[in-house]
Amino acid sequence: MSHSTDTLIDIRGVSKAFGGVHAVEGVSVNLFAGEVVALLGHNGAGKSTLMKMLAGAFPIDSGEIRVNGTPAKIESPADSQNLGVETIYQTLALADNLDSIANLFLGRELKTRWGTLDEFAMEKAAREVFRQLNPNFKNIRVPVRSLSGGQRQVVAISRAIYFKAKALIMDEPCAALGPEETRMVHELVRKLKAAGVGIFLISHDMPDVFGLSDRLCVMKNGKTVGTYRTADVTEDEVLGMIIAGKKVTRVPELQTNSLAAA
Amino acid sequence: MSSLRDNLQISALDLRLSIMAGVLVVMAIGFQMATGNFLSPENVYNIAQQSAVVGIVAAAIGLIIVARQIDLSVGSVLATVGVLISYLMYSKGWNWMPACLAGLALSWGIALYQGWLTSYLGVASFVVTLGGLVSFRGVAFLVSSGRTQPVTDPTFLLIGGGLDGAIGATASWILGLALCALILWKLIQGRRMAKMHGFTSRPLAIDVAFSVFFVIVTLGFVATMCAYQIPSKQTPQGIPNPVLIWGVVVGLLAFIVNRTAFGRYIYAIGGNPEAAALVGIPVKKVMLKSFLLLGTMVAVASVVAVSRLNAGTASLGTGMELYAIAAAVIGGVALAGGSGTVLGTVLGSLIIQFLESGLLLMEVGVGQRQVIIGQVLIVAVVFDVVYRRATGERMQ
Repeated sequence: MSHSTDTLIDIRGVSKAFGGVHAVEGVSVNLFAGEVVALLGHNGAGKSTLMKMLAGAFPIDSGEIRVNGTPAKIESPADSQNLGVETIYQTLALADNLDSIANLFLGRELKTRWGTLDEFAMEKAAREVFRQLNPNFKNIRVPVRSLSGGQRQVVAISRAIYFKAKALIMDEPCAALGPEETRMVHELVRKLKAAGVGIFLISHDMPDVFGLSDRLCVMKNGKTVGTYRTADVTEDEVLGMIIAGKKVTRVPELQTNSLAAA
Repeated sequence: MSSLRDNLQISALDLRLSIMAGVLVVMAIGFQMATGNFLSPENVYNIAQQSAVVGIVAAAIGLIIVARQIDLSVGSVLATVGVLISYLMYSKGWNWMPACLAGLALSWGIALYQGWLTSYLGVASFVVTLGGLVSFRGVAFLVSSGRTQPVTDPTFLLIGGGLDGAIGATASWILGLALCALILWKLIQGRRMAKMHGFTSRPLAIDVAFSVFFVIVTLGFVATMCAYQIPSKQTPQGIPNPVLIWGVVVGLLAFIVNRTAFGRYIYAIGGNPEAAALVGIPVKKVMLKSFLLLGTMVAVASVVAVSRLNAGTASLGTGMELYAIAAAVIGGVALAGGSGTVLGTVLGSLIIQFLESGLLLMEVGVGQRQVIIGQVLIVAVVFDVVYRRATGERMQ
């Protein structure tokens, strides 16, 4: 890696168990600024749980997460957000009964000097972000339940843009989208990448993974199978890792743990 | 229905409140024609005053329901708090003010207990407060030793209305005009700010129509209150104190809902609790705070109820939880959570009291009245389901 000095996120030997079931066991993976790392695996392989720990939705049982080289205490989603990590969940995490503006700022509302909600400031900022993402998105004052899948995705993504994410977690961002909207998401990922944002991309979709990611990390039964440069491996080899948990030995595995690399 | 809304550019919410206001108007005209004295100043004065206690609780319980919780214990807590206040004043000789503060403290203690079990331990609020419904009725009996605790403090008795418990004509008109000024200022300020930020506002005619409607209702109400004079008195009554307190509670809750992050979080939790937690809203804290808010309003309602009754008894507020919940539901608060307005709970409380009063004047018996009110609740919920489907709020 040419920019190995900018390790943005460094997940080291992280474990998580739910009542005796090891969902994630000693997983290490890192992320550099301006890089896309794809996380792959079956349902229940532990990739979403791993990302939810980084996002602050689940507390970590053991191991540590470093952000910009410093050990981070991530105990809540707010902690994660404060570290510059934004998450776009597969479910989008939208309150369907509230409008797009309220959803963009949910949990982080702009306030007036009296501590009340600053609706005008929020609407202004929201319009600007929505315009960047989709110029045709106009009905921003209706509850998001009445929006199309693509528009809902725009609202979820707008959080990451407005709050200037340094690292972004995208959980199956294209799973429920049409071709047009998928293209928009791909374009956005490239734009963010160029702007130096590090992205963890959870995906089942091979074209997504091979089209967007720099490295890929395959998980199975809560453990990492291996981490490789995406350009080094073939789709068949990746499928082999996902299904059989078989490491690829043809090309060198990339050390993801910077401790081990040193 | 949606095309009608597109043409008028009003939200589903505003349309719904307008429909309910229309229902109230139709009921008022219907009862007036049937009885001839439904809209007399005396009857309107009494309706307003009698709605206050349930209305105060309904406004606050509406928020709990929006947050996907329920509180069945409000009637019993109201009794416990009321009995404590009257006991401290009657048996212990306390001044009314510290007695009321002690009542508020007790209400907060109960809210903390039930709210903590619900928010932090994750016990269903239905079960927690069902237990509370039974237990706190018992506590009310224990505190009062089963005896009625009469209250005689003249200042305290003013809170509940009665002969001198109204603010008089001058103060009523000043208050009414101030409220109208506020409505008009909000209209002008809102449109000015929208223009300044380059946002499109609703058509002027709609905005003006809503404001004018509220101004007419406000002034009409004040005029009616000032037209009522108790025969033994020299001056007209004006707005009764319980209604004033109800108004302050509604204003405060509407402010919390529309202008504070806390209010928004209640709706977000009701709309999608998982999402609320994932975006960093402290869900448990917000939930506990909303129980404390309800506890505060139950204490306020309790003070008004005791003062109205001139006594605290262990049977105070029996069955009141159901009236408060019914008022909120009739007022458009969805039991599924995430939707409802404070103003709606006011209209809901009034619809129930209109029925009670109108049917009473028509000399309909208590049994028939209960049958009718119960079925109206069902009609309201049926309307709710149909309306939400028509406006696309619910897909199934």
